[in-house]
Amino acid sequence: MDRRRFADLSLKTGVVAAVAAAIPGVVTLRGRVRASASQAVAEGDRLVFALGQNANQPVTEGSFTQNEAVLAFPEGKVDNHDNLVLICKLNPAMMKPPTDLAGTAGGIVAYSAICTHLGCTVRFSEEPMDMAPFPHIHCPCHAALFDPHQGAQVLGGPAPRPLPQLPVRLGERGEIIVAGPLTGPVGVAT
Amino acid sequence: MSFADWFEERLALDRFRARYLGKPFPVHPTFFLGEIALFCFVVLVLTGLYLALFYEPTIESVSAGGAMVPAAYASVLLIDAHPLGTLIRRIHHWSAHLMIGALALHMARVFFTASYRKPRELNWVLGLGLMGFTIAASFAGYLLPYDQFSVTATGIGYGIARTAPWVGGVVADFVFAGRFPSPSTVPRFFAYHVVFAPILLGALIVVHLLILLKQKHTEAPAYAAADTSGGRQISGIPFWPQQTVLMAVLFIVLLAAVSALSAFLPVHPSAYYGPPVLATPEVKPDWYLLWVYGALRLIPGDMSFRLLGATIGSEAIGAMLVPGVIALAILLVPWLDRAPSSLYYAEDPLKSPGRLAAGMAGITLIAALSLAGFSSELKLSVPVLWMITVTLPVAVGSVTYLLAARRRRDSITSGSGRI
Repeated sequence: MDRRRFADLSLKTGVVAAVAAAIPGVVTLRGRVRASASQAVAEGDRLVFALGQNANQPVTEGSFTQNEAVLAFPEGKVDNHDNLVLICKLNPAMMKPPTDLAGTAGGIVAYSAICTHLGCTVRFSEEPMDMAPFPHIHCPCHAALFDPHQGAQVLGGPAPRPLPQLPVRLGERGEIIVAGPLTGPVGVAT
Repeated sequence: MSFADWFEERLALDRFRARYLGKPFPVHPTFFLGEIALFCFVVLVLTGLYLALFYEPTIESVSAGGAMVPAAYASVLLIDAHPLGTLIRRIHHWSAHLMIGALALHMARVFFTASYRKPRELNWVLGLGLMGFTIAASFAGYLLPYDQFSVTATGIGYGIARTAPWVGGVVADFVFAGRFPSPSTVPRFFAYHVVFAPILLGALIVVHLLILLKQKHTEAPAYAAADTSGGRQISGIPFWPQQTVLMAVLFIVLLAAVSALSAFLPVHPSAYYGPPVLATPEVKPDWYLLWVYGALRLIPGDMSFRLLGATIGSEAIGAMLVPGVIALAILLVPWLDRAPSSLYYAEDPLKSPGRLAAGMAGITLIAALSLAGFSSELKLSVPVLWMITVTLPVAVGSVTYLLAARRRRDSITSGSGRI
């Protein structure tokens, strides 16, 4: 092997080795996820208030009146932002499919609170609008509109998908218990 | 031997003086826009150095005012609690706004005078890069106070990154250091904003100026008539002392202006926004991102298409495709403009109806998209805003073209009449 070839080969080996050695380092850029932040909501979880004075206290049937909504987390799983849900109490007579009606309880229906457009927290509003002359869910970021009476279907605005529904049932003391998995992926699609 | 001679002997300063200090600078108010942006950058670095002494890049909970809040937020409140701290933070913020504004006007000046043409395409592209990185640096800075506004804006940025076709999820996690809100994001964005941004922007500014030094400014078209050397002769005032004095005055005036703004107008009051909560507040991005925000509101949720196995949804269209196409159009301006060009002279904006019309239409488009960001306040429906966004730029462009073409025709006929 002549010197030129040796130098050439050394350089190439060096470059390949350096790139290979860098990969594990570069992968760490992906960041860490706390174990508690990956706990998913599961059947049997009790829903608790996410905000306010009652934070971490169970949400019950009597916590709100018709056409009100509260933000809630499954108990003990508050570190995973994707678990945030909006529990709405609606007029049961107005609710129709594609709502999973078996997953509602006396007008109480829960949807993921993470907007399917770009991940902001959605709000419940009673104020009638042109496109939604009834209580509805809207996103304060880019004005997405959802119909909580009909499976949180998109009424208008930029959201590409309905909010996934979280089936619920009532517990013995009126607590709201998760009755099944979310009906779709939470938040922004990848 | 005098003090100056000691340096003279060692550094051969007279050669340096002869070569660079005589560089002629054209005198026109619009030629100061780039300098204003540069001075804003200097002010940003200086005030940033001060802020970095107090800021804590972590969201660990600490007790402040009887409540548990993120340490980053608490440290910003602490900065705001001191008169000098709050002034410096406001100057930092106002300078960022002014820098982006000056860059936008600088770009408009270069565009309308056709100063981007060969051989200056490189500096056009670099300038656009500087604009992009300045906005990116500001966006990284949005997060640092870790108030409600910060978390909402960065959350949306994370959502946008996730919608990138094919690679979205992975790229978003790499850029934001995990799923936002993740405790790793603030240290990462602190590094972007405080280390990477100044180095990158500083380096790009140096290259931008070196290219300018090599290629020289374009001169005002009025000089062409006076020049008998075929463009080889450059008119203007020398770098030293006249231009240097002008620059020093400009810097001081700029500093006075941002200080006055900062003294009277609060900007990004973190205490007012409050620490982050789970509910999303009603916020709008800063003015220079309103057009992207408007585009996001305009694209309906059912608009999407498939491309090579990836779904390009409404979010990606509004936040990436629309701004991407606009940025690409701006990038390609030097290659789209096929008019014969002068190496030495800027063009009179009114003499080229096509360019003037395209520029005015572009500015109107950005303004119309920004207007769409106020759809709720203005009670304008999405179809009406679509109409405005499509027709207004076309209308403004057409009217501009007709007026400029008529003016050109008139000046040619009146000119020939005189002959």
